[in-house]
Amino acid sequence: MSEFKLLLRKDLFILINNIKLILKNPLRLLPYLFVVGYFSFFYLRRGSKKTESGDLDIEQFQDAADQLGEMSFTQQNLMGGITLLALGFLMFQLNKATKKNVSFFSMADVNLLFTSPAAPAKILIYYMLRSIFPAVGGSFIFVLYSTAQLNEMYDFNIWNLLLMSMGLTLFFFILSPIRFLVYTLNTKYDILHYVKNGVFALGLILSLMILIPGMMAEKFWQGMFAWIGSKWFDFFPLVGWSRGIITYLGHENIWIAFGFIAVYVISFLLILNLVIVHSGYYYEDVLESTKSNEEVKEKVKGKREASESSMSLNTKKKLDLKDFGTGAVALYWRNYVHSSRQDFHPLFGLYGLIFAGISIVMAVISNFDWFNHAIIYGYLATMLGFYFLAGMGRTNVGDLKKPFFILIPASWPSKFWNIIKLDIYQTLIFAVILIIPTVLIAQLSWGLMILFPFCLGTFYIAGFAITLTTQVGFDEGWVRKLIKPLIVGGVLFFGILPSLTAGVFAYIISKQLVYAFLATGMGMTLVAAVMLHVALDIVSRLEFKEI
Amino acid sequence: MLKVNSLIKKYGKLNAVNNISFQLEGGEVVGLLGPNGAGKSTTMKCIVGLLRKTSGEITIGGYDHLSVAAKRLFSYIPETPHVYDLLTVKEHLQFIAQAYSVKDWQTKAQEWMELYDLSDKQDKLGRDLSKGMRQKVSICCALLPDPQVLFFDEPMIGLDPKAIKNTKKIFKELKEKGKTILVSTHLIDGVENIADRIMIMKDGNIIGNDTLPNLKATFNNGADSSLEDLFLELTKDE
Repeated sequence: MSEFKLLLRKDLFILINNIKLILKNPLRLLPYLFVVGYFSFFYLRRGSKKTESGDLDIEQFQDAADQLGEMSFTQQNLMGGITLLALGFLMFQLNKATKKNVSFFSMADVNLLFTSPAAPAKILIYYMLRSIFPAVGGSFIFVLYSTAQLNEMYDFNIWNLLLMSMGLTLFFFILSPIRFLVYTLNTKYDILHYVKNGVFALGLILSLMILIPGMMAEKFWQGMFAWIGSKWFDFFPLVGWSRGIITYLGHENIWIAFGFIAVYVISFLLILNLVIVHSGYYYEDVLESTKSNEEVKEKVKGKREASESSMSLNTKKKLDLKDFGTGAVALYWRNYVHSSRQDFHPLFGLYGLIFAGISIVMAVISNFDWFNHAIIYGYLATMLGFYFLAGMGRTNVGDLKKPFFILIPASWPSKFWNIIKLDIYQTLIFAVILIIPTVLIAQLSWGLMILFPFCLGTFYIAGFAITLTTQVGFDEGWVRKLIKPLIVGGVLFFGILPSLTAGVFAYIISKQLVYAFLATGMGMTLVAAVMLHVALDIVSRLEFKEI
Repeated sequence: MLKVNSLIKKYGKLNAVNNISFQLEGGEVVGLLGPNGAGKSTTMKCIVGLLRKTSGEITIGGYDHLSVAAKRLFSYIPETPHVYDLLTVKEHLQFIAQAYSVKDWQTKAQEWMELYDLSDKQDKLGRDLSKGMRQKVSICCALLPDPQVLFFDEPMIGLDPKAIKNTKKIFKELKEKGKTILVSTHLIDGVENIADRIMIMKDGNIIGNDTLPNLKATFNNGADSSLEDLFLELTKDE
């Protein structure tokens, strides 16, 4: 029996059934037609401009840059900033690979495939190779999107587009085999804590690579990306290699690009070989990790109740909480108990303390000459994005579909408020603990003490409302998958981005962060209000339908 | 056919399965009983290789239980019937037929689907099936390769009365064909009439492992007491 043939046929069946499902209701493809139209518009527009005004190619930009005589800090920080984002993503993925519940399989695989006489090593290799497809698709879309924006600046052709896609694809692709390798080595040798230490050390080294040049420079922001933004950082594994391939557009040295591609290929072959040699009976651990993964997915879908198991720091804590009241308050009580076991305090925990601590440390060192307030501003803005994503990632929205939620004898707004009340309290307490010392130590505007918590709350609510609307409003999984990007895109393009743009404008004009937060907060109030209205409407209809 | 020797499975410091040994001869049907958390499912998952045993030896048909050769000999029906969301009922059976190299699978698949009232649902996707129907698909998938050993973990859960009756009938037929069956269940009457032997587990230990008459004699419950009475007597808290 050929395992590859067996698995390929299974996946082909799944693909065909997927297409059949989409064809049953082709209207779902409309948002994607819009995206295709969007990209086509930029490419076609460039085609017509080209004939009118001739090429504006890279050389002209290079000449302009040369005239500046020295490397501008803006350029260095732009390159460093993008590299930092990629490094952040790499660290996130490496950290994810060290989690105990990493699994590449479904429970159907566990029950049907792993008990069958298929060779486990071949199953692992097949799944590893298969993981290249999402990487190719994702990077192709990303390249299309980014080149649509840069189309007027650079002379794109199939060749350099292909190289750019290759740089991104290889980066995203290699992460998956690395995760497989960590998983394989850990199941055989139980080395997870060594890997965790390694990832932590790498994070520390990378942080030092920003801190050291930053502190050596006259101003921190002038030097912070001097190392990771420099040419030699192209030799840094994965992130640097991909940067070397993608920046072919700038250096135009095909040997450099091919050299990095070759390094990627050799690394992949090495990882593949290691996985084959060390795979052993890895699948004996598949059941527990897959089960825990699927539990998370099912919680979001509402098939299971939110449990205390994942990411919990304090599961064994003995609690003796009194009742908070009757009716919908029971939901708040339940969340409170859950949160008490998740962290050391239900309202403010360890993670919050770390994030607030980072901000306070930044505020302290901002009193020295070499550090800049702009980094604190960047950190505060990052927190907004983080809380938006946290709102979107809430798994307890599935509870809204549960019979107990619908049947609790209380009004709908009261139930809804009690389900989000703890999140709102936590968000506001975190924001206050972070911003008050930061403002006082760094001598920022006092208005931020009100505006930062407010903005954080609106971003959180907007994210939560998006997830709630898509998960609770649409029963069909496929509709959810197609509608969610549309809603997220809509809120992002027509709500969040205009609010942030208003904030940036306010900052440019006033040179004060407090006005940026004021403008963003005003915009986000509207976004959060609209999204809450939509969410409430959808959930009240759901309650009516269920009854 | 199945030999389990000194099997231990620990979760942290907790012994879910506590140094148990037993064996099943070819053609033997053994009922595995025990209260919730007794270690029945864990034992079964260790045997089929879905959980890593802490220590011990397990062989199926003389082969190590993790070898491909052993896997050709057995099928497993899990307690929770997970199926592929985007494969139809028929495609699940086709998948299994390929995995176990089943010849003439379509005729056999048709027979099993008819028995479990799945014929009219063969083109339904896994995600559109009820829990009971998923369980039926799971059972059909296990029976299709016609294995020598079958591990049933709570096979009756979610099944309708007709399917339960059919499953009991299938147990008898499989027994007559000389298949070896280990069935874990809470439905005591389901195994009372067909099991050659009963194993009762509690707190990770086997507290009884014999034929029903011998168990009754050993534990002095009288000839007219049922397996249910015996089970309750053996598993009651001290």
